[in-house]
Amino acid sequence: MDAIRIPAPAELDALEDEHFRQVVRAFLHENYPDDLRNPPKRLHWDENRPWYMKLAERGWLCPGWPKEHGGLGLSPAKQIILTEEYERYGVARTNDHGIVMLGPLVIKYGTEEQKQRFLPKILTGEHIWCQGYSEPNAGSDLAALRTEAVLDGDEYVVNGQKIWTTLATDANWIFLLVRTDKQAKKQEGISFLLVDMKTPGITIRPIINLEMHDEFCEVFFDNVRVPAANLVGQLNKGWDMAKALLGFERIFLGSPRQSGYALSRLKILAERMGVWEDAEFQDRYARLRLEFEDLKALYGTYVEKLKRGESLGADVSMLKILQTELFQAITDTMLEIAGENAGLLEPMEGNRDLNIGGLFIQARPATIYGGSNEIQRNILAKNVLGLPG
Amino acid sequence: MSATPGGEDRAESIRMIRDSAAAVAPPGGDMKRVRELRFRTPGFDAAVLRQMGEMGWIGLRLPEEAGGAGLGLGEACALAEELGGALVPEPLIPAMLTGSLLAAVGAGPLERVVSGEALVLTAWQERPDTLEVPGSPDAPRRFLPMAAGAAAFLVPVREGGRIALYEQQAGAGLSTEQTQDGGHVGTLEPRLGEAERIADDIGEALSLALDEAALLTSAYLLGGMDRAFAMTLDYLKTRQQFGKIIGTFQALQHKAADVRMQIALTRASIEAAAATLDAGATGDARRAVISRAKARAASSSMLVTRECIQLHGGIGYTDQYDVGLYLRKAMVMANLYGSAALHRRRFMAVSPEIEE
Repeated sequence: MDAIRIPAPAELDALEDEHFRQVVRAFLHENYPDDLRNPPKRLHWDENRPWYMKLAERGWLCPGWPKEHGGLGLSPAKQIILTEEYERYGVARTNDHGIVMLGPLVIKYGTEEQKQRFLPKILTGEHIWCQGYSEPNAGSDLAALRTEAVLDGDEYVVNGQKIWTTLATDANWIFLLVRTDKQAKKQEGISFLLVDMKTPGITIRPIINLEMHDEFCEVFFDNVRVPAANLVGQLNKGWDMAKALLGFERIFLGSPRQSGYALSRLKILAERMGVWEDAEFQDRYARLRLEFEDLKALYGTYVEKLKRGESLGADVSMLKILQTELFQAITDTMLEIAGENAGLLEPMEGNRDLNIGGLFIQARPATIYGGSNEIQRNILAKNVLGLPG
Repeated sequence: MSATPGGEDRAESIRMIRDSAAAVAPPGGDMKRVRELRFRTPGFDAAVLRQMGEMGWIGLRLPEEAGGAGLGLGEACALAEELGGALVPEPLIPAMLTGSLLAAVGAGPLERVVSGEALVLTAWQERPDTLEVPGSPDAPRRFLPMAAGAAAFLVPVREGGRIALYEQQAGAGLSTEQTQDGGHVGTLEPRLGEAERIADDIGEALSLALDEAALLTSAYLLGGMDRAFAMTLDYLKTRQQFGKIIGTFQALQHKAADVRMQIALTRASIEAAAATLDAGATGDARRAVISRAKARAASSSMLVTRECIQLHGGIGYTDQYDVGLYLRKAMVMANLYGSAALHRRRFMAVSPEIEE
């Protein structure tokens, strides 16, 4: 490990892939805090901050951004390698909406002024962004959103409510999809607006989820006045922009790593419960294990596609469905074999590898977020299989 | 084993094999020939088997010095898949198994087998759902595919720690039972007194050949499920009920999406296994990927063909409509060279710990 030299950020993209992988490993080994590996919950900014600032200081914060904007300018292939290594090391997801969502959108659609105003502050950690898309009546049917922005002089007046806003309490800026034309077809009256969370009229209320965690929030807008200069791209084109941004990162929703982690914990639990050698259990475990191995192979075919420079089609939805349903099936099995331990709030015997109920509950929202699995099946049916209606 | 080219060349080589399969497997899915051969003896066309030999298919995997084409499992699986899509009844996979056994020992009627002139079946199996070869001298050999058309049988016989190989000409001692796909399986009484001993120890070669046959069977099943699903999609896009195209119904759309995912997993599993073996994996690593692929193909071929019948409704239950042919083929082939349960057990026995 120590023998690997970590090159300057600008040189990373030129490395040969396998060498790059070794560099990422060395970088994590050297820089990532041990106590934050594989955290059982999504971390808050106060916990994420040291790692975020370390990445910022080393120039590694924005792997996908072009170099001229302070990113690493990595190819999709290298971004995948980076993500694989982060996942393998158990690196926690940071407050990354500025890095992953807002930054690329401003780079693609923002004015020069907007780029200079917003991009550097993501890179310094001064602006922490959250995403205001979903609403109480616009979840799977996102285009039905009703939070509206009405132009009044050189300001928009925003009224409405967002929900499932991840880590909104940590953020000081929010990017919104807002309705700017109520007469148009629902996808065609939506715009993209950037809002300072300190603006009067904004209220944030955390929602305690089934994990007893407060990562999701509701955000209320009551006559919030936003400078018109904070509109990104063309008026009423927000939907198209948000959609165009769904790039190859969609593949990560189908990364089998979570299932691999859960499977290895299932084995530990089965041994602890004395059922591992049981023939009936062995067959159940084998089914899950084979599901995992074949999903890994399928996932690999999509990674190869990206490495060849091809883009992903709608069929990538398969990965998300398969991964999240497998993750759930594994944790279902954990509950079934755990006896009364299934109901414990804390990890069994204080062993973090035996966090049975915790893992089971963590697996629940995976089939809901990022486009529910029912929506993903609709996409497969219509856009891949060509079924009508 | 001769080297197989990689990357672009490899993809091209696999494309060529797929194209060449059209000679025997009509791409339009015309089932006339398949239907004519059903429930007749010997259940396949000897001329087509010879054609397969001439095209180099039976010897596809064999080294060039043994009269083969020296190609990899990537190519062999692509070919089997194409044949499965057309439900080609000629017993190519058993013929390839025999060919690789004879090539490994350098004896017996290798040339006649590889040319497709004669069907020679390896009579290794003594009980259902097994990959083990007890080699009992007098135990009947079971489940010999298309045995009525065989010119001879190779009978493995255990002699101490080794498995010797005998060649027994066809004739007395064979009985047959019909199978759901319109073919048949034979049971052979070994008559070693009249047979010729052609090799001293084929144990290792036979276990490799059985593994490859399991993988090729998986690929054949993949071709079948892919084609059955394509037919089903066409049906969903044209059939109307309640004044609507039935493919607009979400319940059916989601079923179709699930079927598509099973097919994608099966393809990924088979292609990963072929690539692993072509890269030189042996022993447990080989057995693990083959068992994965066969377990997947066995269960998904049944699931997919069942759902295809269901999605068709009543017409799917008629013998006249082709989708049922795929179900009947899956019933026969899903458990060949080991059922899903057998391969799951074997996978657990040989697979290394999970890689996180």
